[in-house]
Amino acid sequence: MTDLSKIRNFSIIAHIDHGKSTLADRLLEACGAVDSRDMADQILDSMDLERERGITIKARAVQLTYQADDGEVYDLNLIDTPGHVDFHYEVSRSLAACEGAVLVVDASQGVEAQTLANTFLASDAGLEIVPVINKIDLPSARPQEVKAEIEDILAIPAEDAPEISAKNGINIRAVLERIVKDVPPPKGDRDAPLRALVFDSQYDSYRGVIVYVRVMEGTVRPGMEIRMMSTGATYKAVEVGTMNPLGLTPRDSLGAGEVGYLTASIKTVSDTRVGDTVTGAERPAAEPLPGYRAVQPMVYSGVYPADGAKYQDLRDALEKLKLNDASMCYEPESSLALGFGFRCGFLGLLHMEIIQERLEREYNLDLITTAPNVVYRVTKLNGEVVMVDNPLNYPDPMEIQLAEEPFVKASLIAPQEYVGAIMDLCTNRRGEFKNMVYLDERRVELHYEMPLNEIIYDFFDALKSRTRGYGSLDYELIGYRPSRLVKLDILLNGDIVDALSFILFADNAYPRARKICEKLKENIPRAQFEIPVQAAIGGKIIARETIKALRKDVLAKCYGGDITRKKKLLEKQKEGKKRMRTFGTVSVPSEAFMAVLKLDDD
Amino acid sequence: MPILGRRDKTPLGIYIHVPFCRSKCQYCDFYSLTTKDDRLIDRFVDAICAHIRETGPLAPGYRVDTVYFGGGTPSYFGADGMATILTAARRAFDVASDAEITFEANPDSISDKLLRRLRGEGFNRVSLGVQNDNDELLRRLGRPHNYAQVLTAVQRIRRAGYRNLSLDLMYGLPGQTLAAWQETLTHVLNLAPEHMSCYALKVEPGTPLYDYKDLCNIPNDDVQADMYLSAVDILKEHGYRQYEISNFARKGMVSKHNLKYWMGGEYLGFGPDASSDFAGKRFKVVRDLHAYIDGIKRHGPVLEEVQEIPIRERAGEYLMTRLRTTGGIEREEYEKQYLLPFDPLEEALFRCRDHALAAKSSEGRWRLTPEGFLVSNSIISDLLLIQDQSTPLARRR
Repeated sequence: MTDLSKIRNFSIIAHIDHGKSTLADRLLEACGAVDSRDMADQILDSMDLERERGITIKARAVQLTYQADDGEVYDLNLIDTPGHVDFHYEVSRSLAACEGAVLVVDASQGVEAQTLANTFLASDAGLEIVPVINKIDLPSARPQEVKAEIEDILAIPAEDAPEISAKNGINIRAVLERIVKDVPPPKGDRDAPLRALVFDSQYDSYRGVIVYVRVMEGTVRPGMEIRMMSTGATYKAVEVGTMNPLGLTPRDSLGAGEVGYLTASIKTVSDTRVGDTVTGAERPAAEPLPGYRAVQPMVYSGVYPADGAKYQDLRDALEKLKLNDASMCYEPESSLALGFGFRCGFLGLLHMEIIQERLEREYNLDLITTAPNVVYRVTKLNGEVVMVDNPLNYPDPMEIQLAEEPFVKASLIAPQEYVGAIMDLCTNRRGEFKNMVYLDERRVELHYEMPLNEIIYDFFDALKSRTRGYGSLDYELIGYRPSRLVKLDILLNGDIVDALSFILFADNAYPRARKICEKLKENIPRAQFEIPVQAAIGGKIIARETIKALRKDVLAKCYGGDITRKKKLLEKQKEGKKRMRTFGTVSVPSEAFMAVLKLDDD
Repeated sequence: MPILGRRDKTPLGIYIHVPFCRSKCQYCDFYSLTTKDDRLIDRFVDAICAHIRETGPLAPGYRVDTVYFGGGTPSYFGADGMATILTAARRAFDVASDAEITFEANPDSISDKLLRRLRGEGFNRVSLGVQNDNDELLRRLGRPHNYAQVLTAVQRIRRAGYRNLSLDLMYGLPGQTLAAWQETLTHVLNLAPEHMSCYALKVEPGTPLYDYKDLCNIPNDDVQADMYLSAVDILKEHGYRQYEISNFARKGMVSKHNLKYWMGGEYLGFGPDASSDFAGKRFKVVRDLHAYIDGIKRHGPVLEEVQEIPIRERAGEYLMTRLRTTGGIEREEYEKQYLLPFDPLEEALFRCRDHALAAKSSEGRWRLTPEGFLVSNSIISDLLLIQDQSTPLARRR
């Protein structure tokens, strides 16, 4: 076991795209943790999807061995955190395992919404914050101003913050030195009863669940009986060790202050709740560690196999995904239009897209996803309160006493010239202006309270385009508020397609209905006959488009008896139709379900 | 397959692919070469005759009732070669005395001499490529003739004693309007052919036209649909009955050969890129003249894509090909041959009928209307999907 004074546990926090994962790569390199031939960009982001999109989805932890300028060798435990607002929760649970946080701020962008939000999270968790100015080699870098911003806005001394370029490896050692000097070493009695905080877990088909822990007190060794304090389940620890960038290194023990993993032949990730405390079965701790807030899906959507016969495959895939992503939830549902599928809960739209993409890529499934929705709270006349996560279950308007929708507190930061554009956008999205703060002479932070429903679809894209990419957003849930809600139904050829129904704010119904009809018209192929596309509220049609009948789709010449080509063409057409969903007499390609979500054209 | 009676022979069609043209048309993707040297022609004739001689003994129970020389441009290839090949076919197969024997011709390569020679050999039907009556348009399409040559050619064909003449026209041509098309059609009908084929221009990848298809003002689908429907009307007024999507004939003058393709008849193809459907198998000759000649000479393989077609697939072919014809499809015929239920298909056909895309005759035969033919790919692919998902009758019992 490493002496406590030689351990530093830290994470890196930043606004998205400020260079967090790149800095992590450089720290790894600087500590010789990875051979340069094994070095891939964003090495901690092991999912293909993470590398492709340049984002971190899962928190990862890794141990670095660093010989500091004082001649001592330190164990630096780095816990990487996701940057996107959807994964707020992953950030908070990573922070609880650390004593310090490296705050990366882009030298030209300066402080942004998530810089603020993550810094507050970190300081609330009592972490020492080590500011670092990144991308110093860009022509637009303005390190002095950005340092002043950090001091003014975040009240963190930044006078001598290292000025670095993670991309080009400039001044990386200065960051490591600062971590050693400024981040306090962990405390904890290694002889006390075991208390280890679970901050992540992952399923491995050979070892079962790998539980990532930060040991707060006591020591855990292989062979020891351990107990999960929230469930009371006991296991025998099989292996403990530390994480290095390319795999796991088993050790004899893991003591207070250390970050590592343990395996105990645990079969499913759901047996290991993130935030739970692991203790010894023989000598249990009296109290668990303070847990963190439970993860709460914010967005729900129906996920169906494009080919109804693949239901079982989808179920298996969801089960496996859930092993590695405790923040997702799902339960079976069925739709008249789409057959059997699942209602899945996600942290946000990005999370939803990622899960979908993983299901399609890693499990080779073709999916149809229905419009995402938030959870509405409806109080019926008889006093019963129902949480509606599926438009199909929305009660009859005649039975409703009170309908409420979730609201968030949104914080938006942008250069002042975009204030008008942002105010416009937020007002359109039913935002209620709270206040506006000048962060410095250039930039302002606006606070709005607005319905979550208005943010989940395409708010972030709209914000980015209206602020030429300078606007940033962070939000948190503040509770339910009464609202005027209606259920909008879509009819194809006169029949309601239940999978296309959704709930929205009454005043938005007309414009939304029109746009959805237009989108469906674009996305549904012409059929042999005219198809009316209608939107209705409670039986009253409020918008209509018509998909004209197909005029010509024929092979005029079938020559010389070569019908093989014709056969291939028709077979292909048939296969295409197989992948469409037929509602009554109308075939709808799966893309149409997603297309109706992307309605903001400006 | 029909069951052979003691004396009845199964009808068979023979197709000869002649891969030579004077020039390549802008839209054409058929296999043909514009080189024509006498040595190559001789080697081709030798190869195809050898191929016919080898194949004949494999078809003892068959009587050939149609022979069709297509291409390419058989008239440009010349009467000698065609006569030699037809003679080989007569020797190797039992060719019926009243067989329909067709050759394709272009107006620029049709002489009195050629016509008389071939008439003497037993050819009795000519399919003449006209395509349009506008010389400028013909030139732009890369056709090797003008409309005056068409008029002369028709006179010569009649003079030589052919009583079965088919003219090919195309619509949906660059810059063509609905009015111009109607005029062309009326104009050409003055030549009083027994048979008409009207094909929509199809722009195929790899053809010269494909590269400038977006620049040459090809009429859109709506206009082409109108052109098609008006052609059906005009032809009907002039006494031509539609019997297939693109084919029309005076009474009794349908192309027996082409009907085989759509009615599940058997045929053997000779020459490069020729297709066959024979004895339960579909196969194709290699699409390369030299490979064909060498293959035949060395008794090596010349066939590609030889496929035994399972009955389930035949059931699909039945829908695909029969629904191209006005004869259409019928319950008993379908259920008996393929042991699949007709009900689910009929349900879809009733829906088509509601939109005037299909019609049911008093004898219970379902056919597509001209409007239905226009969207036949869409209808047939629907039916194929329904067929895929249907449970065989036998399994239900």
